[in-house]
Amino acid sequence: MANPYHLDESSESAFKNEYPPKIEKVNNETVKIYVWELPVRIFHWVNAAAIFALMITGIYIGNPFFDSMIQGEASGFIMGWVRYIHFFSAFIFTANLLVRLYWTFAGNKYASSNLFRKIFWKDTWESVKFYLFLKNKKPHFVGHNPLAQLSYWVVIGVGSIIMILTGYYLYTEPQPESFLGKLFQWVPVIFGDSFDIRSWHHLVAWAFMAFVVAHIYLSIREDYLSKNGTMSSIFTGYKTESKDSIEDIKDESMPGEKNDKYYM
Amino acid sequence: MKKQKTIYESALDQGISRRDFLKMCTALAATMGLDFSQTDNVVEAMETKKRVPVLWLQLQDCTGCSESFIRSTHPKIESVIFDMISLEYTEVLSAASGVQVESNLETVIKKYKGEYILAVEGSVPDNAGYLMVGGKSAKDTFIRAAENAKAVISYGSCASWGGIPAAYPNPTKAKPITKLVKNTPVILVPGCPPIAEVMTGVIAHIITFGEIPELDVAGRPKAFYRHRIHDKCNRRAYFDAGLFVESFDDEGAKQGYCLYKVGCKGPTTYNSCAEMRWNGGTSYPIQSGNPCIGCSESNFWDNGPFFTRRAKVPGTQITINPDKVGVAVLGATAAGVAIHGAATVAKKKHDEKIRGEE
Repeated sequence: MANPYHLDESSESAFKNEYPPKIEKVNNETVKIYVWELPVRIFHWVNAAAIFALMITGIYIGNPFFDSMIQGEASGFIMGWVRYIHFFSAFIFTANLLVRLYWTFAGNKYASSNLFRKIFWKDTWESVKFYLFLKNKKPHFVGHNPLAQLSYWVVIGVGSIIMILTGYYLYTEPQPESFLGKLFQWVPVIFGDSFDIRSWHHLVAWAFMAFVVAHIYLSIREDYLSKNGTMSSIFTGYKTESKDSIEDIKDESMPGEKNDKYYM
Repeated sequence: MKKQKTIYESALDQGISRRDFLKMCTALAATMGLDFSQTDNVVEAMETKKRVPVLWLQLQDCTGCSESFIRSTHPKIESVIFDMISLEYTEVLSAASGVQVESNLETVIKKYKGEYILAVEGSVPDNAGYLMVGGKSAKDTFIRAAENAKAVISYGSCASWGGIPAAYPNPTKAKPITKLVKNTPVILVPGCPPIAEVMTGVIAHIITFGEIPELDVAGRPKAFYRHRIHDKCNRRAYFDAGLFVESFDDEGAKQGYCLYKVGCKGPTTYNSCAEMRWNGGTSYPIQSGNPCIGCSESNFWDNGPFFTRRAKVPGTQITINPDKVGVAVLGATAAGVAIHGAATVAKKKHDEKIRGEE
C-alpha cells in the first residue's frame, strides 16, 4: 500500500512520524474530522487571552493613559499592578508557547508544519492567488493552508521569540545578575541598546494586533466559504468536511474499514 | 633617574596629614563602590603605588568631559591630578603648549610603554583631515597612543559610542574609539558628560587594584553602570503609583511626580546619576524636575525628541509614536478586511448565481 497520507503530495503533512486525525463518518458524503486536538485548542485560547492581557497592560506601560485616583502622594500602585499583570501574563504566554512547541512534534498532522519542502511554497503561492481572487489551483486544506501556516511561523513563531527575548531582557534589566538576567544578557547584541529593545517590543506588539484582525477575519471567511465549521472547530476540535476533501487520508483511516492502526 | 614618589609621599609633601590621607582613601573606596572593609586595600595601594602617567587626548569633542572631570569632589580633583596620577598631556589643563607638550606626548609613549593610561574624549573621524592636532592626524596619534597604553579609558558618549559627532547624518563619519583599538583593554565611561566622580573613580580603581574594573557586556564598569537610572530614581515611587507629570507647568510637576510621560529616558539609561548625583552629590536632572535625556546611551541624540516618549524604527534613525502608528496600521488592516470581505461576499454570490443558471 502507498503511504496513507502522501507526505510528498500535501503541504499539510510535515513530518514522517505524525499520525492522521480521527475521522468520524456522518453520512456517505460527509465526515467529521478531529482537526484541533485539545492541547492545540487550549494553547489557542490561553495564547489569545495572554496576548489580550499583554497588549492592554503593555499600552498602559508605554503610555499610562490614566492616573492614580489618589493625588499628591505615592500611595497607589497602579503602574505596579499593571506591570505585575503584564509580567504574569508574559510567563503564561511563554510556558504556553513551549507546550505548543512540544505538541508540534507530539500532535496530529495538523499540529505541525514543514517549510522546507517545495510543495509548501507552491501551495503558498496558490493560496496567495486564492486570497487575491485570482485563478488558482489551491487544494482544499482541512487544517491550515500553507499561507496561514507561514503567518503563524512569522507572527506566533518569530514574533513571539522577538517579544520573549526583548521582553525578558527588559524584565530583568533591574537584576542583571539574576539567573534570568544572565540568560538574556546577550539580547543587546542582536537588538541594540535598551531603547532599541524597547522599540522592538513596542512595534512587534502592534504587529500582533494587525495579525489578530487578519486572523479572525480570514477564519470567518473560511467558515463562510467552506461551510465546514471552521469557527466552531476551535472550540470543539471538529471540522465537517466532504469525503472527497480528505482523499489522501480516507482510504486507510476510515473507521470500520481495512486499516485501523492510525487511531488506536 | 629621580626616584618616583608614591602617592602617599607626594600627598605628605603637599602638607596633607595622615588623617586626611586616610579620609581621602575611605571616600575613594566608597566612590569606587567598594565595601568598607576594602578601604585597607585602597590605603595600601596609595602608600605603595607610584603616580600613574596619564595621557589625555581630545578628539572630536566639546571639552565637556574635561570640564566635568575637574569638578570631582570625592576624590578632590587636586588630589587626583597631583597625587594619584601624573597628567602628562592634556589640552585643557597643561600650562605649556606647542612643541613642548607635543614632544612630551611622544616621550611618554616611548618611556612608559605599557604603563600609562590613555584617557580619550571625543570620537574619531574616518577622514583624518577633519581632525589634525599639532599638524598631525589625531587619528594616527590616538592609534599609536592606544597601542602602547596599559588601558584606554573612553570618557564620554562621543568616545564610547560616537556621540553627537556621529549623530545623523554624521558628516565626518565619526566612530567610537573602540573601533580603532585592538589589543588594549578599553573601559567605556559614557555620559554627556560622565559624572566627575565616576571619571576619577575609574582611575582610582586602576591604581588601587592594578587592573581594570569589572565591566558589563557593553564594556562599562559595573560599579557605575550596573543600574538603570529608573531603578534608583528618587521619583520611582510616583511611577509605580501611577502619578505622572503631563506638562511642565502642571500640578504634578510641582508635586514632583514621575517624568515618564514627558519623555524621561531613565528606564533605558544605564548610569549612576540617581545614586552619585552631580556636583558633589547635590542633585541630578530628574531630581531637579527635568527628564533624563539618556545621554550615556548610544545614539541618544538620535533617539527622538527629549521630552516625548517615542519608539525607534529598527535599523533607522526614525522615531515614531508607536501607539499612533500601531492604531493606524490596525485601521488600515481593518479597512483592508472590510474591502476584502465585501469582495468575498460579492464573488460568492456571483459564483452561486452562475452555478444556479447552469
